[in-house]
Amino acid sequence: MSNALLRIEGVSKKYGPNTVLKDVSFEIGQGEVVGLLGDNGAGKSTLVKIMSGVVDSTAGDFFWDGQKIDKMNREVTERLGVETIFQDSALVPQMTITRNIFMGREVTNRLGFMKMKEMDAVAAEVLDSVVTIEGIKSPKQLVSSLSGGQAQAVAIARAVHFKRSLLILDEPTSALAVRATEALLGYLTQLKGEGVSSVLVTHNLHHAYQVCDRHIVMNHGKKIMDSRREDTSVEELTAAVVEGAVGLQRFREGKF
Amino acid sequence: MSDKTPGNSSPRKQTPILEVPLPTEAVTVRRKTGGEPDTYLGRLAYNLQFIRGRGALEISIVLVVLLAGYVIASLISPTGFAFLNPNNLSGVISQSVPVLAILGLAAGILMIAGEFDLSLGANITLSAIIFIQTSEAAGLWLGIAAGVGTGVVVALINGLIVVYTKIPSFIATLGMSFFWMGAGIFINGTSPAALTTSREGTMEFLFAHNFGSFRSQLVWLLIIGVVAWFFVHRHRLGNHIFAVGGNPAAAEAISINTKKVKLMSFAIFGGLVGFASILIAVRTSSIQPGGTATEDFTLFAIAAAVVGGTSLTGGRGSVIGIIVGAALIELIRNGLLLAKAPGFYITLFVGVTIVIAAIFNKLMEGKAR
Ligand SMILES: Nc1ncnc2c1ncn2[C@@H]1O[C@H](COP(=O)(O)OP(=O)(O)OP(=O)(O)O)[C@@H](O)[C@H]1O
Ligand SMILES: [Mg+2]
Repeated sequence: MSNALLRIEGVSKKYGPNTVLKDVSFEIGQGEVVGLLGDNGAGKSTLVKIMSGVVDSTAGDFFWDGQKIDKMNREVTERLGVETIFQDSALVPQMTITRNIFMGREVTNRLGFMKMKEMDAVAAEVLDSVVTIEGIKSPKQLVSSLSGGQAQAVAIARAVHFKRSLLILDEPTSALAVRATEALLGYLTQLKGEGVSSVLVTHNLHHAYQVCDRHIVMNHGKKIMDSRREDTSVEELTAAVVEGAVGLQRFREGKF
Repeated sequence: MSDKTPGNSSPRKQTPILEVPLPTEAVTVRRKTGGEPDTYLGRLAYNLQFIRGRGALEISIVLVVLLAGYVIASLISPTGFAFLNPNNLSGVISQSVPVLAILGLAAGILMIAGEFDLSLGANITLSAIIFIQTSEAAGLWLGIAAGVGTGVVVALINGLIVVYTKIPSFIATLGMSFFWMGAGIFINGTSPAALTTSREGTMEFLFAHNFGSFRSQLVWLLIIGVVAWFFVHRHRLGNHIFAVGGNPAAAEAISINTKKVKLMSFAIFGGLVGFASILIAVRTSSIQPGGTATEDFTLFAIAAAVVGGTSLTGGRGSVIGIIVGAALIELIRNGLLLAKAPGFYITLFVGVTIVIAAIFNKLMEGKAR
């Protein structure tokens, strides 16, 4: 059996006295699309931040392609090619679209001066590459002048442009209209063909069921379900997400 | 550009997503974002819409109008309003504008990073004292290095306190201001530090020479302005300053080290303040430790930045705006002086200008595209 792209083992997270994640373990296969589901406050975004290296876990081990990672921080995840679309979109409103897309990863000459023309051109290109959003006039626009969906498209464009091995999307479609949502979900299935894995956090179980190979359901910081797509149904996912472990148990007993 | 391309009206638009096969190609519709006009003028007009509301343009118009008014008034009445008199241009304008502009750049760059340093005035005094003492004892070049170095060290210590204790910089640097003021007296004693023989020659030529209608300081402003522009608006480190001041969480999520960037901003602030302190010391020849003469610069520097469109909450500002802001403040001061307005008028008008500029800024922040 080949190694999983990312395996996390016994991950816990405490914020002060509150335990937000309890002993969570799972893996993400090469080229796999994994749905991360659960009620509000279940701990999905916290898990996303830990996997992205933005937040430290209180306990737990991480293995990348079978190799243990000593510390998951942003430098490590960036080197590994992990890109994340954060739920609280990580954009700087006072800066232009181009500067947001290339923030921290500017295209520069040897002295560190930015190649603005080149960055503008690439930004215009990636803005339209996956989801096309109406009304974005130019990559020189400030992000503060964009609508919620337009800003989300910028965050998507950035992650898509820089992802290399794992793309994590935390409710990426929450502000998108139908056509843009379709395009993004379609893109995830296409990524699989390119060998890029993805993690999709969403409250729309139909969307998740449609594109994900595997579903992980979180409830109050614990993993209560981890099923391949062919072993589950939208109904079972709904029971697990809405009613937790008890609901899942009841659903399974009723069914079998 | 907002018109729809024909491909947009695909038939699958209306049907609910679950019952429809996924689009096979993710790239369904391609609509080019941002096609710029070809002609030079067209491109200028096109780009202008993105510059509007970002600070520099509006304030520059105000400056040009004011300047035109001064020139006309001075042509009509060369003695009544002696703006164009070489003594005024070289003696006042080309000495005061560069100093305030350099200090405004210092304060402004730090404000873009989301921080303040209210010990600016105390830093000037201390750096100027060190500059004077070192120049007198060990020569000009060591003196320059010591003056600029003192500015950097003072600001970096302030920065370390702010970054690691997370005390608001407003409070931390206000407190440190008294400390640095005291340090100046500790090092120099209470009598003024004065340049004597060392001021003649190279030092005078470099920092205060009269070229007829302008002085050395103006050349320094040009050099520093150009370097600052390329650094702030075109260098990746400058870009990080905006990111950290605009949304620190976003900057961190993308692996920008916010602490480092803030410390760098403090260091740049200190370097510019140290350099300005040299200009001030050479112009006045002596500095009073613990004196209040330099204290005014703290708020005037912040005022220049604000008038120039720098946001008080970080993430927004421009080099050209700040220089224009400083020039505007000094021009108003100069105009009132030439019109022989009483002293308190000057304070009053500068105050009003700052408040109007801040309100204007706030409006523009909403309009910025
Ligand atoms: N920085 C923080 N400090 C303290 N508690 C936090 C912090 N971030 C999250 N929490 C808590 O952790 C729990 C899980 O939050 P998380 O954001 O991971 O939920 P989620 O599953 O993403 O929910 P949603 O679907 O609403 O986005 C919540 O109870 C939240 O209050
Ligand atoms: Mg969340």
